[in-house]
Amino acid sequence: MLKIENLSATVGEGEGVKTILHGLTLSVPTGEVHAIMGPNGAGKSTLSYVLTGREGYTVTGGTATLNGLDLLSLDPEARAAKGIFLSFQYPVEIPGVPVMTFVRTAMNAQRKARGEAEISAPDFIRKSREIAKVLSLDPEMLKRPVNVGFSGGEKKRLEIYQMMMLEPRFMVLDETDSGLDIDALRTVAEGVNALRAPDRGMLVITHYQRLLDYIKPDKVHVLAKGRIIKTGGPELAHRLEAEGYDGVLAEAV
Amino acid sequence: MSTALRDILRNPTVAELELVARYAGLKVDARRERLFEAFALTGLPGRRDENWRWSDFKSAVTALDAPKTPPAHDPLARGGVATLRFSPSGFAAPSALPAGVRLVTREDVQAMGGAEDVPLGALAAALSGTVQVEVSAEAPVHLHMVFQGPGAIHAARIAFLLRPGTELHVSESHLGGAAFSAALIEFTLQAGARLNRTIYQRGGAGEVQAITALIEQDAGAESVQTVLAFGAKVSRIETRLVHRETGSKATLNAAYLAGKGFHADITTHVRHGAPACTTRQQTKGAVLDGGRGVFRGKFLVPRTSGQQTDASMQHNALLLEEGAEVFAKPELEILADDVQCAHGNTSGALDGTQLFYLRQRGIPLVQARAMLTEAHIAQALEGAGEHEDALRTEASRWLAP
Ligand SMILES: Nc1ncnc2c1ncn2[C@@H]1O[C@H](COP(=O)(O)OP(=O)(O)O)[C@@H](O)[C@H]1O
Ligand SMILES: [Mg+2]
Repeated sequence: MLKIENLSATVGEGEGVKTILHGLTLSVPTGEVHAIMGPNGAGKSTLSYVLTGREGYTVTGGTATLNGLDLLSLDPEARAAKGIFLSFQYPVEIPGVPVMTFVRTAMNAQRKARGEAEISAPDFIRKSREIAKVLSLDPEMLKRPVNVGFSGGEKKRLEIYQMMMLEPRFMVLDETDSGLDIDALRTVAEGVNALRAPDRGMLVITHYQRLLDYIKPDKVHVLAKGRIIKTGGPELAHRLEAEGYDGVLAEAV
Repeated sequence: MSTALRDILRNPTVAELELVARYAGLKVDARRERLFEAFALTGLPGRRDENWRWSDFKSAVTALDAPKTPPAHDPLARGGVATLRFSPSGFAAPSALPAGVRLVTREDVQAMGGAEDVPLGALAAALSGTVQVEVSAEAPVHLHMVFQGPGAIHAARIAFLLRPGTELHVSESHLGGAAFSAALIEFTLQAGARLNRTIYQRGGAGEVQAITALIEQDAGAESVQTVLAFGAKVSRIETRLVHRETGSKATLNAAYLAGKGFHADITTHVRHGAPACTTRQQTKGAVLDGGRGVFRGKFLVPRTSGQQTDASMQHNALLLEEGAEVFAKPELEILADDVQCAHGNTSGALDGTQLFYLRQRGIPLVQARAMLTEAHIAQALEGAGEHEDALRTEASRWLAP
C-alpha cells in the first residue's frame, strides 16, 4: 500500500520558495491501479518527484510510506531498490550510455541493495528480447545511448521497457500517454497491464481520459492546487472528459 | 656556473641550481650549451610566465630527491610489442626490433628547433642523449615506450622519423618514479606517413612531470593522438604540431582525470603552416575536490599559408565536486580568410536531471556519477584503437574504485 498523508512540499530556495503540494492525502492499496487527473500545473509531476526523492523539492510536512516503509527519509536509489519506479513525463537523454548497459547496471544495483544475486548475461538478454517484442521495440534501439535521438513515442516506450525489466512493486506513470499515437498507446497499455498483479500498485497520472480506456483504474482522483479534491470510480474520468475540470473544481470549493 | 647562465638564472631556486650542477657535470657540447641556455632563459617556468601561469613548475619542483612512489602498473603493455624503456639510470631497447625500424642511441646532443618555446623540452634535450628511430617499414609498426624508474631527475629524448607512406603505432606510458621528469619526443612525418600515438600518464602525488612532443607533418601525413592523463603533483603534456605541407591531418584528443592533490595540464599548439590541412581536437576532463585541470590550446593560422584550414577545438570539463578547479584557455589566431575554424569550451557540474534519472532506476550516486563521467570522456578515447579498452578500464577504475 502506498500511503500519503497530509503531504506538503515546496520547490525553489530563498525568495523563490513556492509551495506546490498543500496537505495531499491519498492511498493506493496493493494490487490496485489508481489514476490521478488534474489541470496543468496542479502539482502532479511534483508529487511524482517528491515520492521518488528528486533534489530541489523540500517536504515541509506529512508522510509517504510504501508498505509501511518511510520513503521520504531514503535516497532516490534506495527508494528504487525498495520498488518504486517513475516513468518520467520527460525521459532524460544519457549520451554515451547504451540502454542495455544502463538497465543492466540498474537491475544489478537494485538486486545488490536487496541482497540478491546479479542477473546472468544470458538471462538478461533473454528477458530484454521478450519485453522488446511485447513493446514492438527494435532491438537495435537498445544498443543506442539512452533516449538520444529517440522520438517522443520511443522514449515513452523505453520507459515502459525499463519498468517491465525492473519489475517494481509500485509504479508511478507520469503522462505516459502524451506523445503517443493510438497504436503506440495500445502497445504501451498492454505492457503496463501485463504488470498488474496482486502484489503491485500503480499510480497513473494523466491529463486525458483516453489512457484510462486501456489501463482501467480502480479509482480516479482529481488533483488541483496541490491536493486531492475529489475521488471517484472510472466514471469520474469520463465526467472530467465531458465537462472539463471547471465543474469539478467549482464543486470542491 | 658560467656568468652567462648566472645572468639568465637570476635568483635560481634550489632545484634550478641542482639542474645547473647536473648540466655542468655533462660532457661539454656546443648544442647542449645552446639548449640549456634556451631552458635557462625561462628557468623552471611558473606563475609569471603567461604560458605556464596555471602550471607552476617553479614552485612544484622543490628538492630533487627520489620520491617513494610505489611502481605504477602499465595498462598499455602488451606481449609481442617491442618495448623501449627509459629510466633515470638509462635507456634499454630489445635487441630485436620490428623489420624496417632502425634505432640509434647517441650520446651527443642533437639540434632542436624552437627550443625557447618549450623550456622543459629544451631541458630534457640538454640533459640527455638522443634515441633516434627511423621507420621505413612497409607494414604498420608497433612500438611501446615506458618512462619510469626511481631517481631524482629523469631526462629523456627520442626522435622518430617516419619515412613516406609508413605507419607507426606508438604507445607511451609515463609512470613516474622520479621527483622531476622531463621527456622530449619528436616526430617527423614525411609525405603520407601515419602516426597513431597513445599516451597514458600517471605520476605520483609528489612528482612533477613534463612531457613535450614536437610533431612535424609533410604532405598528406596523418596523426592521431590520444591522451589519458591522471596528473601528478604537477604534470603537463604539451604537443606542438606543425602542418608544414598541404593536406596534412591531425587529431589531438585527450582526457584528464584529476583527483585530490593532482594537477593535469594538457597544452597544445598547432600551426597551419600549409594550405588545406585539418586539425580535430577534443579534450575532456573531470576533476575532484582538491584537483586541478588545465587546458591550453592554440591554433595558429597564418594569412597565406593557412588558407583552406579546417580546424576545430573542443574542451569540456566536469567539476565533479565543490573545490575542483579547471583553468582553460582556448585560443584561435586566424589570419587567413578562407578557413573553417570552430571552438567550444565548457566547464560545469554533472547534469542533475541525468543523475536523478540514473538514481531513480536504482544506480547509487557514486556509480551514477562514474557512469556519466565515463560517458563524458569516452569520445576523447575513441581514437586509441587497440588501447581504447585499456584506457577506459583505467578511467572507470579511477571513477568508481
Ligand atoms: N523546479 C521548479 N521550480 C519552480 N517551479 C516549479 C518547479 N517545478 C514545478 N514548478 C511549478 O509547480 C507547479 C506544479 O508543477 P507540476 O508538478 O509540473 O504540475 P503538473 O505536472 O500537474 O502539470 C507549476 O506551477 C510549476 O510551474
Ligand atoms: Mg506534469
